[in-house]
Amino acid sequence: MITETSWLIPLYPLIGALLTIPWSPGLIRRTGPRPAGYINIATTLMAFIHSLLAFHALWNRHSSPQFFFAPWLQVADLNLTIPLEVSAITLGAVILITGLNLLAQVYAIGYLEMDWGWGRFFAFMALFEAGMCALVLCNSLFFAYVLLEILTLGTYLLVGFWFNQSLVVTGARDAFLTKRVGDLILLMAVLAIYPLAHTWDFRELAAWAQTAEVEPTAMALIALGLVAGPMSKCAQFPLHLWLDEAMEGPLPSTILRNGVVVATGAWILVKLEPVLALSPVATTGAIVIGAVTALGATLIAIAQIDAKRVLSYLSSAYMGLVFIAVGAHQPEAALLLVLTYALAMAALVMGTGSIILSVITQDLTQMGGLGSRRPITGLTILVGTFGLVALPPLGGFWALLQLMTGLWTDHYGGLVVIVLAVNGLTAFSLARLFGLMFAGTPNQMTTRAPEPIWLMVMPMMVMVGLTLHLPLLLQTLGLLPAWAELNGDLALALTWVSLSGFGIGALLYIGRWGDRPDAIVPLRLRNLLAFDFYTPRLYRLSVVLGVDSLSRIADWLDRYLVDGLVNLVGVASLVSGEALKYNNSGRFQFYMLTISLCVVAIALFMTWQYLPGL
Amino acid sequence: MQLEYFLLLAAALFCIGIYGLVTSRNVIRVLMSIELMLNAVNLNLMAFANYLDPATATGQVFAVFVISIAAAEAAVGLAIVLSIYRNRDTVDMEQFNLLKW
Repeated sequence: MITETSWLIPLYPLIGALLTIPWSPGLIRRTGPRPAGYINIATTLMAFIHSLLAFHALWNRHSSPQFFFAPWLQVADLNLTIPLEVSAITLGAVILITGLNLLAQVYAIGYLEMDWGWGRFFAFMALFEAGMCALVLCNSLFFAYVLLEILTLGTYLLVGFWFNQSLVVTGARDAFLTKRVGDLILLMAVLAIYPLAHTWDFRELAAWAQTAEVEPTAMALIALGLVAGPMSKCAQFPLHLWLDEAMEGPLPSTILRNGVVVATGAWILVKLEPVLALSPVATTGAIVIGAVTALGATLIAIAQIDAKRVLSYLSSAYMGLVFIAVGAHQPEAALLLVLTYALAMAALVMGTGSIILSVITQDLTQMGGLGSRRPITGLTILVGTFGLVALPPLGGFWALLQLMTGLWTDHYGGLVVIVLAVNGLTAFSLARLFGLMFAGTPNQMTTRAPEPIWLMVMPMMVMVGLTLHLPLLLQTLGLLPAWAELNGDLALALTWVSLSGFGIGALLYIGRWGDRPDAIVPLRLRNLLAFDFYTPRLYRLSVVLGVDSLSRIADWLDRYLVDGLVNLVGVASLVSGEALKYNNSGRFQFYMLTISLCVVAIALFMTWQYLPGL
Repeated sequence: MQLEYFLLLAAALFCIGIYGLVTSRNVIRVLMSIELMLNAVNLNLMAFANYLDPATATGQVFAVFVISIAAAEAAVGLAIVLSIYRNRDTVDMEQFNLLKW
């Protein structure tokens, strides 16, 4: 019963979003915005409890996935039915989304204490929650695309929350446009796959892909289009700049975005894995994109001085690992990685936000010496770090190990090295983050930094607990990969790489071994990484420049050529009127002459054929 | 071959009349040119009546009408000239270009 009504889950936050509207500052002027937040927490809690109960019921009965169909639109021979899949995996994703959103919203009540825009903020958060729940429940590529677009709009609104800041406005613009480009290419592929498969249902697509014989070029193009959508959603190279700039948005939304929103693309990618498997070009493409992003983004994360941006590039990097996993045909490893990553990253972002709120600066070079006074936050960041990198027995270890084992057995030797390197570099960058924040002597900015109020501490601690309990949870659910299937040597290698990455980082930044560790690297390389391979300049010199000059040319053509042609007709008739009026000379004799000449002309014309010898 | 000569003479007279009508600066001379043209028409009418329709002489009746109408027209024309002359103190056609564009 509770399972059958799972399709209601996205409706709770949607109702919450609608109910917050009255508490916009323009409508209810007296009470302040706080009820908006409380209502949304209540609706999110309801959605969370509902999904938990549904999952419990489904799990106990060991029932197979259930599918529901809601008719939406039937036009001619196109029948658009919304298929919903209620299975352990979709309900698990819903639990993750609603749970994370619940924690982020409680966190936001503490974080946005001094803000008046709760109505807007909580409405957007609820819209996100509803969109993501609907996305994981819906089982159709077409409606997944619809929801992805709604989420793109949600990102625009949420990043542009404090819209009186100029960087927020440009960040929201880039986030919208970059994600939109990916969505549009995805739409092309979604439309192109229909004539081939005659369905958008993920299950039927998978079944079709088993036996499909499609022309390789067409399939490669379609599959690349299907990869391009998640590529922008997951902030992969070269569409990664938006996530960096999205860090201008309010921090509680960052918890959600870094944790789960970027994973929406990965979810679609995992669902489409059977289709992508049809085209080796596309899977290779996904692997290349993922590998380049993972390596590049971790290197960039090491060179950032903005605490939030360190985490945003690590988000890109881990989504790159998901791309590698999907490209190497390991959807289970990808899903496990998304789960472990989401919890650990949420803990990291929460801890960072807790620091930023009291230290005010986000500049890592101005932090330091917080270790003794911010133990809870320090613990959160440490646990998040260890949960993210491969350190047994925490979750990230199992996900990465499963991925690596799969890669090793499928003879992707190079990718194994890349995953190891990404893991080590991530460990290093997180050790640097932790060291710069908590070790050393207090700076001017950090001399007085108390722990935040319980509303922020509690979600952090719950996050820590979840991250720590994740392996047990996975074991109970039977999701932990069996030890026998895993490669012990790889496990050792992973652990050693994590430990040495973290150890070197700890030596340099926690032990403060050496005066300026970054001075080892040449300045040019440091700047290259710190400025994100100069991606903004790259965009401005390639796509933006092209589109801009094209639009300028088009504008010029419209303004001067098209308009000019039409105006020319008007001007010509005006001028001819002005010029021809001088025929009205006002002289009787001139009129007489005109008449005479006309008569002669007409007479000549009429008698032309009778005139001899002409 | 007699008719053509009459017609050619009348046409020449008509053209002389038009030339005078278009080029004269004096209003009186314009009226005189108009008379010349009307007389050319009369010559035509008489020639045609004589050579093509000698029995009924309709052309001659026409000519009588034209002469009487021309007289009336010349009278009214001269009246107009006089009234213009009273206002503007000139009979120069070049001065009468007030109703232009």
